[in-house]
Amino acid sequence: MDLTTTFTQSLDELIQQVMPSLVVVRGRRRGAGAGFIWSSDGLILTNSHVVGRHAPKLILQDEQEYKSQLLARDPNVDLALLSIKASGLTPLEPASVSPRVGEMVFAFGHPWGQRNSVTKGIVSALMSAHTRRKKQQFPVIRSDVPLAPGNSGGPLVNMRGEMIGINAMIMGGDQSIAIPASVVVEFVDRFISKKSGKAHRDKYIPEGVL
Amino acid sequence: MSKNILIELSDALADAAERAGQSTVLVNARRRIPASGIAIAADLILTANHVVERDEDLNVTLPDGSELSATVAGRDPGSDLALLKLERAAATAAEPTKTPARVGQIALALGRPTTGGIQASLGAVSAIDGPFRTHHGGLLERTMRTDCIPYPGFSGGPLIAADGTVLGLNTSGLTRGAAITIPTDIAWSVAETLEKHGHIRRGYLGIRSQTVEIPSDAQKSLKRKQTSGLLIVGVEKKSPGAKGGLIVGDILVGVKGSPISHHDELFTHLTGEVIGKSTAIDVLRGGKLESIDVVIGER
Repeated sequence: MDLTTTFTQSLDELIQQVMPSLVVVRGRRRGAGAGFIWSSDGLILTNSHVVGRHAPKLILQDEQEYKSQLLARDPNVDLALLSIKASGLTPLEPASVSPRVGEMVFAFGHPWGQRNSVTKGIVSALMSAHTRRKKQQFPVIRSDVPLAPGNSGGPLVNMRGEMIGINAMIMGGDQSIAIPASVVVEFVDRFISKKSGKAHRDKYIPEGVL
Repeated sequence: MSKNILIELSDALADAAERAGQSTVLVNARRRIPASGIAIAADLILTANHVVERDEDLNVTLPDGSELSATVAGRDPGSDLALLKLERAAATAAEPTKTPARVGQIALALGRPTTGGIQASLGAVSAIDGPFRTHHGGLLERTMRTDCIPYPGFSGGPLIAADGTVLGLNTSGLTRGAAITIPTDIAWSVAETLEKHGHIRRGYLGIRSQTVEIPSDAQKSLKRKQTSGLLIVGVEKKSPGAKGGLIVGDILVGVKGSPISHHDELFTHLTGEVIGKSTAIDVLRGGKLESIDVVIGER
């Protein structure tokens, strides 16, 4: 088999692998964002700024619409955890390895309402950003994937089909900022440990953990 | 299971960025955000001239975070290159490419404008053109264009191939708004001259000229197919051209036997090597071909 055919097939496989986990997050107001399935029993992750004030409606790949419940949110790192009553969903695994500058990435989302779009790019820099009111610093991934409104909350995926970040922001038109998987995992862990009743102070997100 | 080609390609690109990133340094020599540079030897950094705004108080930060002071070893505004000498030999020299760049090949532009780590932008070599007369009076035999995004602070950094070897040096100082890449062979040879002389030596004739059509009867005395030459419209007093005997009205048609039909071709001959040497200038004077020996000066 020639190289381009192998390449196209690998691309196709990767997209088929990730796409079932992509969801539409529809708030009360017009416009929608993206999100993805975190666990098979109905945990969904998206950006805090996509969720708005009310728990949004979610549309899965089978076009089923779900009412969601807002479990946790942290505007400082722009993340929100939602849950729906469902089971047997296909979760998107967070990357086990750290992102590297130069590696190829795909953004999954719904730019300008175009459902299930995939855009390509590379990790262009690993930087840190300030939380609101500049209280803390946390790592972010800068990439050159083209993003548009509707991409927010969608996953940034590496060539292994793993989630390396959540697309959150567009800077200057040609730079995209994603919240890295390490921060996402920490955010979910924080919620779960809170729920299990353990005394758990908010962990400081260390700098440069990418 | 066979290896996934996407993962292989992605890993290769990240490996290339990591490898070449070891030779990409931060150059702190202007008021705005710092720019980038390429280590071409353990103590030599090649960067873009326009990012070196100061001659003193220059700092270079190596990939390991160590900050070294540097001095300007040489500048060439013509090709927008500057060579910095580090206080000690601590840098990892970049590996220049062995195979010249080809249009269509994938390439990464690297930069290190912050101490937060290497930065990269992926693209392809879109065009290789030249010769290119820069607005600072330099002439680059070849330049490359890519569709990599020239992020702020990327000037002076390398364009690398997928194997991590350096294809050229990126700069946005030669063209307004856009970035171009100076091919490695040209950039490295400028650096060599800068190390020896501190500046690029350019030959000087002292004439003003314009391109003109060569009349058909004069073409006969040329005994070659050449339809244009340079009409000398002015000769500076006491210039090498004046001393050698060039006069207004001569049509310059060749240097050392090779035909000159445009200014760019004359430029390529007035290199550092001909300075101080008696050089045969072919002119049409009164319709007849004459060879005049001129000792080329230095600009």
